[in-house]
Amino acid sequence: MTRTRQRWPLVALLGVLSVLTVSPFAAMLVVALSPAGAPTLPAQWPDSLTLDNLTRVLSASGFVGWTVNSLVYSVVSVVIILLTASMAGYAFAKKRFPGRQAMFWTFLATMMVPFQATLIPTFVLVNSLDGVDTFWGLIVPTLANSQAVFLMRQFIMGLPDELFDAAKVDGASELRVYWTIVVPLTRPVLATLGVFVFLWHWNDFLWPLVVGQSDATRTLTVGLTTLRTEEMQLSVLMASAAISVVPCLLVFFLLQRYLVNSIAMTGLK
Amino acid sequence: MRQRLRDPVTGLLFVLPVLVLFLIFRIFPALGAAGMSLTNWNIGGEWSFVGADNYARLLDDTIFWTSLRVTLVYVAVYVPLTLLVSLGTALLLNQVVFLRGLFRGMLFLPYVTSFVLAGVIWRWIYEFDGLINGVLGKAGLGPVAFLEQSSLVLPALAVVSAWKGFGYSMLILLAGLKAIPGSYLEAARVDGASAWQRFRRITLPLLKPALFFVLVIETISAFQTFDTVYVMTGGGPARATYTLIYGIYDHGFRSFDFGYAATWGMVLFALVLIVSLIQRRFLDRGNT
Repeated sequence: MTRTRQRWPLVALLGVLSVLTVSPFAAMLVVALSPAGAPTLPAQWPDSLTLDNLTRVLSASGFVGWTVNSLVYSVVSVVIILLTASMAGYAFAKKRFPGRQAMFWTFLATMMVPFQATLIPTFVLVNSLDGVDTFWGLIVPTLANSQAVFLMRQFIMGLPDELFDAAKVDGASELRVYWTIVVPLTRPVLATLGVFVFLWHWNDFLWPLVVGQSDATRTLTVGLTTLRTEEMQLSVLMASAAISVVPCLLVFFLLQRYLVNSIAMTGLK
Repeated sequence: MRQRLRDPVTGLLFVLPVLVLFLIFRIFPALGAAGMSLTNWNIGGEWSFVGADNYARLLDDTIFWTSLRVTLVYVAVYVPLTLLVSLGTALLLNQVVFLRGLFRGMLFLPYVTSFVLAGVIWRWIYEFDGLINGVLGKAGLGPVAFLEQSSLVLPALAVVSAWKGFGYSMLILLAGLKAIPGSYLEAARVDGASAWQRFRRITLPLLKPALFFVLVIETISAFQTFDTVYVMTGGGPARATYTLIYGIYDHGFRSFDFGYAATWGMVLFALVLIVSLIQRRFLDRGNT
């Protein structure tokens, strides 16, 4: 393609749209940094900025607890989903066993059943196993992730059979093949999947809302909704919101290029 | 090779953890949803078989029809809005070289945050003493009650979700645009085609698969709207934002009417299934 000269009106338009898109975050940050009770946006720019709201939020026990719960929910899910999905993906891609096709297509079919449609029976099931307001009740039902299994299977299918056969000939055990061949070779896709699973869980709401009924297991998204502006100053609410988004921003700034490419390649959402 | 073919045990063992998780937490609840919709299951776990009573109740339930209408109107506002914004920004990103990485990052940023966060920020943005009314007030206009007026509240919520979600579709469409060979557009330019003709006759037809994918994904996600409703309106005013999922939540976890809530879930499942089947049909046709 011939290089066309830069069209500055388009650049300007794109710039305006980009600034508009991030402006709600900027406004949130300005209010979060305004002294509590002092005039701020939208009436006027604050006269001074302070970190008081942020430190106040971080010293409130509820908020810190929710953050820890969100971290547990997200990190444990990432580890277990990566492990189980890569094992299953390897078997579906490279092993022959009875019922393989039927199982795989059943997994795919469950993708068409939205989680919300099975919310009630899932809750009743977890409730009957005394899992409400426990970490296992929060985490375990979210580990059956067909997108993850599908992605791993597609990726591992592209690896040459000879690799696995050679290891077998050398007498490597199945677990050794998995750990020394499958895991290292799938590292890029594991990383991508890990980022997505982390974001899905960190940002998840409906399931934590119904299962995490006390501060013991309540996650940050659910906790945020219990903070109402009537009882709480807007600047403190916005400070809480600002802190809750920090892990997402870290993921975003560290892995943006990665995320951007993988969405286009895999269609993960 | 032969060994690989005859290795049923290890294959099964590797699938086993996922298989158990799926059987217990995906397949059993999916069948359970259909079963529960035929019962009057309540909070105490007591139930009896009531046949199609829940479905008959659904047909007579004005709240259900309101909810279905709210959901469909929401889809009808959200999907075109998101498609337009994501296509527009993708086209711009495809044209602009200057600071492209920065702009793409800024546009994509809301996607990595949560709908709850979006709801918390935008509830304030829409309030009487919030950001938009503050700006309108400076211009001597308003205030506008975005979240308190039945006619405005659904578009207001659709804007929030579109803002939060368009970055994903933008990236899919941008990848689709990058896959269009530059020589096609160049040849058309040489032949004297205008920018609009090139867009209409070359870009748009070649972008169709990506557009279709985005259309299906966004439609399904619009059917599942809950978080912003819960945070911003609680289903109101006067059930103007009472979406299907909000109905499932309301009947299940406020009235503890589990059997009836499961029936609402079946409706959601049917809607998503219809969209998926339409997608399958179009994809099949596209392949032949």
